[in-house]
Amino acid sequence: MQGPLIDTLARQGITRRTFLKYCATLASMMALPPSAGRAMAEAMAAARRPSVIWLPFQECTGCTESITRSHSPTLEGMIFDMISLDYQETLMAAAGHQAEEARHAAMKANAGKYLLIVDGSIPLGVDGAYSCIGGRSNVDILKEAAEGAAAIVAMGSCASYGGIPKANPNPTGAVSVSDIVKDKPIVNIPGCPPIPVVMTGVLAHYLTFGSLPELDAKGRPKAFFGETIHDRCYRRPFYDQGKFAKTFDDEGARMGWCLFELGCKGPVTYNACATVKWNGGTSWPVESGHGCLGCSEPDFWDAGGFYKALSVPADPLKIGAAAAVVGAGTGVAVSFANRAKKGAAKSAHQTITLADLEK
Amino acid sequence: MSLEAIPIHVINQPPGEEAGLTGNAPPLLRELVELVKRLLDTGEAAAIDLGAMPLTPADLAWLREKLGEGEIAVTLQANGESTLNETACPGVWWVTHHNEQGAVTSQFIEVAFVPELVKAHPQDVAIGLESLELMISDL
Repeated sequence: MQGPLIDTLARQGITRRTFLKYCATLASMMALPPSAGRAMAEAMAAARRPSVIWLPFQECTGCTESITRSHSPTLEGMIFDMISLDYQETLMAAAGHQAEEARHAAMKANAGKYLLIVDGSIPLGVDGAYSCIGGRSNVDILKEAAEGAAAIVAMGSCASYGGIPKANPNPTGAVSVSDIVKDKPIVNIPGCPPIPVVMTGVLAHYLTFGSLPELDAKGRPKAFFGETIHDRCYRRPFYDQGKFAKTFDDEGARMGWCLFELGCKGPVTYNACATVKWNGGTSWPVESGHGCLGCSEPDFWDAGGFYKALSVPADPLKIGAAAAVVGAGTGVAVSFANRAKKGAAKSAHQTITLADLEK
Repeated sequence: MSLEAIPIHVINQPPGEEAGLTGNAPPLLRELVELVKRLLDTGEAAAIDLGAMPLTPADLAWLREKLGEGEIAVTLQANGESTLNETACPGVWWVTHHNEQGAVTSQFIEVAFVPELVKAHPQDVAIGLESLELMISDL
């Protein structure tokens, strides 16, 4: 199975047209020009399967759960087959010493060329003893695997920013991949879990162009994390009109108004949920009536409570029609207010009470 | 249970706009004029990714109605249905890709004599030739 991708696909009964169609959609999703679909198809058809080593550290396997949901029967899943996944504890058949051997063999055979995927944070407390695999600490394994990697993908909020293990008071001393590895290109794909198609999209980009996509200041691919949830939210017009749901069962909630006052973190969260959606494009949190938790942002767990509004928006009733005009300005002010609040919450380690949830 | 059974009204209409039109659709017709000219002059095909434009469902309906229906409608069954319909302007195709569940995954306006997807790839034709020859040898 080391031939060009298109041959491998043909053996699996995937036609060229199916593949072209997939590439067109993928290019559209990655915000590339339409002509890129054809270029991608050509490059990918000829691509050979790169070796991929997936290391799970201090994690819940939610990221693996998510990416497997993009598996059969969708083509994204097939592309996933098209990489040579040489080590993935949850998915591989081998176990114990055999598994460790497979990893070492792959690292040796593909030195300097393999793609390293990491999910989970890395605990540094007590010399890394909080999380070990085969008797070795996570930090030790990461350093060894990073040395021969062409690039590293930090899958999920834990690997990207420390995530839930790093939440105050961070008992294990958890850190992110980029806190440890400094000399390799790293792409962060945050989310708890990340959107399946965003993960496979980044892998497809790597397959196609042989490089990682363009990243923002937090190391995230701009194609998926270029805009906030709020900016792309279909409920945004209600925010601009000052129409907010006040509880989860009032008239506003039933009318599908903005969930800002119920603690939606959409305005400060960069992710593709509002456009790509979840479960094969079925729906996403805001569409099912719950505000965004901000799970793809650093330290989202300590950002001051999921059901607390970011800040009090301008009084919608008094401003009325003018709200639409000031909407954009309010958004900016809110994001600044939140940054301060996040910092305060972080240092104070606010405990969420029942009253917060019932707000 | 269908989504309609949930008592949340998804009102996806920008405030203060007539019937959801944003005014983003008409400039696309001008772009199409340029693309069709280029197709005639150089034979170069092009496409507009409708998913990348801030178009409302009403905008899309307006555009679709303006462009009209042509003579050819191609249906492709590949990982869900795709439709490649010629509009009333020959050389301008409305391309919609669906996934296996029937949801629209991407939508394009393609400017080409024949959309790329419809053409058979030489490598696939070669495979077809092989199977034809195999068929003859069995006769």
